Parts: sequence; structure tokens; C-alpha cells
Amino acid sequence: MKKLIRGSCFILCILSMCLALSTAVRAQAPAAAAAAAAAAPPAAPADAELKGALAKAPSTSDLAKGDPGGAITGTLNDVPIADSKAGPTVTDVGTQVGQNKIAINFVWTLVTGFLVMFMQAGFAMVESGLCRVKNANHTYMMNFFVYTAGLFSYWLIGFAIQMGGAAGNGNLGGLQSLSVEHTTSLFGKTWGLFGGTGFFLSGHTYDVGVMVIFLFQMVFMDTALTIVTGACAERWKFLAFCVSSSIMGAITYPLYANWAWGGGWLSQLGVNNQLGKGYCDFAGSGVVHAVGGMTALAVSLIVGPRIGKFNRDGSSNPIIGHDISAVLIGCFILAFGWFGFNPGSTLGASANGNLRIGTIAVDTMLAGCTGTLGAMLYMWMKNGKVDASMSGNGLLAGLVAITAPSGFVSSVGACIIGVIAGFLVCLSVAFIENVMKVDDPVGAISVHGTCGLWGVLSVGLLADGTSNYGGSWNGVTGSVTGLFYGDPSQLVAQLVGISTLIGFVFTFSFLINLALEFFVGQRVSVATEVAGLDLPEMGQLGYPEFVLKPEPDVLLQAEKGYAVA
Amino acid sequence: MAATRSQGSYYTLFLVASTVLCAGIFVGGGKGVLLLLIGAVGLLASLFGMLKIKSLEGKTAMKPGPTAMKLIGAFVAGLGWVITLFGMHLTPSVGGRLVLALVGIGVSLFGMIVVLPAAFNKNAVWKS
Repeated sequence: MKKLIRGSCFILCILSMCLALSTAVRAQAPAAAAAAAAAAPPAAPADAELKGALAKAPSTSDLAKGDPGGAITGTLNDVPIADSKAGPTVTDVGTQVGQNKIAINFVWTLVTGFLVMFMQAGFAMVESGLCRVKNANHTYMMNFFVYTAGLFSYWLIGFAIQMGGAAGNGNLGGLQSLSVEHTTSLFGKTWGLFGGTGFFLSGHTYDVGVMVIFLFQMVFMDTALTIVTGACAERWKFLAFCVSSSIMGAITYPLYANWAWGGGWLSQLGVNNQLGKGYCDFAGSGVVHAVGGMTALAVSLIVGPRIGKFNRDGSSNPIIGHDISAVLIGCFILAFGWFGFNPGSTLGASANGNLRIGTIAVDTMLAGCTGTLGAMLYMWMKNGKVDASMSGNGLLAGLVAITAPSGFVSSVGACIIGVIAGFLVCLSVAFIENVMKVDDPVGAISVHGTCGLWGVLSVGLLADGTSNYGGSWNGVTGSVTGLFYGDPSQLVAQLVGISTLIGFVFTFSFLINLALEFFVGQRVSVATEVAGLDLPEMGQLGYPEFVLKPEPDVLLQAEKGYAVA
Repeated sequence: MAATRSQGSYYTLFLVASTVLCAGIFVGGGKGVLLLLIGAVGLLASLFGMLKIKSLEGKTAMKPGPTAMKLIGAFVAGLGWVITLFGMHLTPSVGGRLVLALVGIGVSLFGMIVVLPAAFNKNAVWKS
């Protein structure tokens, strides 16, 4: 019995010891792990260097003394650190560098977008200044409301059509939520037709990068829309203008813009058909200005000329605008806004060759300068007088023409493009008025349509192959190079774009506005036109305290004739 | 007659209907189709409303031109684009494509600056 008790005690002791040992081992495991961790290799040298740099960074007491030279403001202290105990790491610094790049590009794109938005004021002044005083309120109001009409329809659907499949822009963080491009297969190749995400900027497109690209693209779209109001001024019914502009902002502009900028088929001409780098339109001579110009021509044809513009024998009468100072100040505002239009089209100032923004800005400036010279000297030599409104149009013509090639040409190329545009706008105004018998009160069709097409063409001729926006353009490796610098296929791509502007955009706009002529009626009544559109359409004169001078005899007779008939 | 309350009402309807239609495209599915149909009906209603009040707005300084000629002009302008597009696939040579693109542009320009202005100017009021 004693043996049994001793044996049991021994077994219990053994069991107790085993239990105690296992508990001890379990308790020692974290300590062992900690010891193992302590024995791990030291922090990466770069991290250690960062910690050293942090120790040397100016302290708060240093900064409290003030920093008039800016030498100690903005140091490693300002880099957000994920783990304050671990100190700054290479990952922290890398994250901040990436954020800085995107932040610079966001701010650049937004600020240049704000400049482009301000161009609306310039357009309003130019167009109203070139109209008679009795239509000033109406013309200003069209330029004012086109911003709202276009913006609303672009937010509804236009942006989705244009940019819904434009994912992949590294400057703005990738824009990966814009990932749906509807395509078709033709001749064994896939062609982008229109985008499919971004309606109402909702769903996955409720994204910081998408908001930036929306704002920038929206103000471009609005520029295209406001071109039409100038060509149809002084006789376009406000209701028809509202509906037409809404449709243009929703469908016409976004469709062509998708093809050129949103990953559509024009931009794929290089990948699919080996035509240079595909259709290249850096800032929109074609996408913005020629689309506006072609639509302006289509609507002007439908709306018809103003009463008294043409005589029975087909000769034309000048109808002088009421405020040349507004015209020229408006031109300067537009030239200022163009520094947003062209350099902003890099969509960034950091990385991917975006430092070319200086060249782009200078090209823009020079083309405007030589455009003015071309138009002013042409009119001076032709008529013996300097024509102020045509000089203003020359400035705009040069700026319109340089818009597409501004990212690809040298300063000499920009001067050539501008001066040709200056001459071209004078010839085009005369041709449209005297040969086509189309009434364009402000010369918008010539400035934006004709010179926009010239700008698109000039890329295929004068792009010098020195630009390098991340090593490729439209998915094709290399720089955009024109005919005179060795790549004739680029010229063909540009011609396809021009053909699309004339053959598709013009025809599409024409048919839509012909349908609106049937449903809405594009033109105001004779009584309204003779009285001036301000009171009948707006209910208020533009300048209520002005005493209106009677119209010239030729216009009075024409107005009387229409009123009697 | 100039701008009226009816015009404002029909444009408001146009905008609301456009919004509903786009919401239908965005929502998709059964609800989307319903919204799309409501939007389309609203758009048509606004357009026919504008058509109804159009005749009240008085005579314009325009005479109706030959509609067929206008449509032919638009067709010719569009045809040039088609020539350019198919020209890209007819030949792989840059020179051949260049010529066909120029032919397409020429045809489009003929429709745009010759046929259509002639159609609109045929019965132009300023001629009488």
C-alpha cells in the first residue's frame, strides 16, 4: 500500500513537472520570438540614413525664430510618417513623392482649367462687341447661358461618352475607374466608339482624379459650344439656341472628343493602321475649335443671313459692331486664357515630359503674335486701313491654329503656323461671305473652323519629333513627327481627322439642327429681328440709357421691305 | 411673338426628361429601362410642345428651300468621310491613303461649301 502511495506521488510529481515545464516553455515563447527579432538584421541603410537626416532636421525652436530665406522650411519633418515609433522610411518618402507628383499635376490642371473657363468672358465681349447695340443683351446672354447648358448636359452624359473609357493617364493617378469604352470590330481591328462610365460622376467615377479631368474637359467643351453663338448672333431664337447647345454638349462634341482624346478610333490610327502616332490634336484645334466651327457653319446655313446683310445682286453690306473696345479687350482675355488651353493640355507639370510646358506657352504666344501680324498687314495692304476687328480675329486665328500643334512644334514652326492662320482668316471671311453667302457676324466659322482645320493639318507637316511625353503618344512609341521631319504617315492621320470633322461632325450637326428647325424653329420673327433681340427675347435692353442711332439707310430699307412683305 | 412662358416650360421639360433618360442609362436593368422610356416620352413631348407653339411666333425672314437638295448636300458631305475611312483599308501605302483621304475631303467640301449653300440660297429672301 505504501509502495502504491509512493508510486502515485511520484507519477503526480512527474506530471506536475511536465505541466510546469510546458507552461514555462509557452510563457517563454514570446520572449524567444522577441529575442529572435532582436537578432534580425538592422534597419535598411536608407531607412537609417533617413533617421539620421530626421535628427539633423531643423527643430521647432529653429523654426520658431522665423525663416526669411526659406532655407529650413519644408524638410523631412514635413513628410507624413506611417509608424512614428519606427521613424521615417523609404516607403514614407516614396509615398510622399508620388503624392507630390499627382498634387502638382492636379493643381496645374485645375488652375489651367480655371483660365480656360475665364475665356467665356472673352468670347462674350468679342461676340457682343461685334453685334449691334440692339442685340447686346441677347448675345451676352447666349454666351452666359451656354456655360450652364453645356455643363449640365456634359455632366449628365457628355463626359461619359467622351472620357468613359479614358483610363490610364499616369499624370492624374491613372483614372482607372474610367474603364468602359464601347468598341466595334472592323477590318480585323478593334475601334473605340464611345465611353460608358461617368454618368452624373457617380458610382466608381466619384473619384478625385476623375473630378479634375471632368473640370478640365468641361471647360474645353464649353469653348466649342460658344463658337456657334457668335456665328448665329442677332437672329438665333433663344429657345433654339438652348436646345441646340444642350444637344451639342451632350452628344456632338463628346463623340468627336472621344475619338481623338478618349481612346476612340482616331487615336488608334497609329496602333491599328500604322499612321504615325494616330490622330494628334494636342489641345484641340480640331476637337474644340473645328467642331465648334463646323457646327457654326451648319447652324448659320439653317438660320440664314441677317436682314439687310445681302443685297438683291448678292453683294454684301457691312453691319458694324457696337463696341470695338469690348472686342479687343475680349481678344486679350482670350489670349490670356489660351495659356490655360495649351500648356494645360499636358494634364500635368510633373513627369512624363511635362516640362515642355514652357515651350508650349511660348509657341502659343508667338502664334498669336504672328496671327495678328498676318491679318493686320493683309488688311492694311489690301484696304489701306488697319482693320481692328480683323486684327483681333488674326490673333484668335493664330491661337486657334497653334492649339493642335503647340505640344509638338518649335517656336519657328509656331510663327509659321500663326502667320498663315492670320492670312487664312481674312481670305476665309471673304469667301464665306461673298461666295457662300453665309452671314457670320463675328467671323467665327473662319477663325475656329478654317483655322482649326489648318491647325490639325499643321501637326502632320511641322511636328518636329522632339516632344517626349512619357516616350509614346496614343500608344505608339516615339515622338510625333510631321512630313517635313520625316513621317508622311502622320499627315495621313491628320487628314483622316480633318475628313471626319468635315464629313461627320458637320453633317451630324447639320442634320440635328435641321430637325430642330422643324420642331423648334431656329430663327426669330422679322418683327423681333427688326426691333433687336434684346427686348423681345430678353425683356431688357443691353444699354437702356443709350439713345439708339438709326440704322444705315440700306439696312432700314431692307427692314422695311421685310416688314411690308 | 418673342420669348414666352410656354417656351420656358417646354425647355424645362426638355431638361428634366433628358436627366431622367440619362438616369435610365446609368441605372440599367428593369428600372433603367423604365426611366429611359419615361425620359424619351418626356423629350418627345417637349419637342412636340415646341412644334405646337412654333407657328405662333410670327413670320421669319426665310423662305423654305429645296429640302431634297439640302439632304443631298448633307449626303455628299457624309460620303466624303466614308471614302476616307474605306480608303485607309483599300491600300497599305501611305501615298495611296493620302490621295484617298484628299479625295474624301474634296467630296465632303463639295457638299458643304457648294451644294448646301446653293440649296439654302436658291430661294433666299434677299434675292427677292
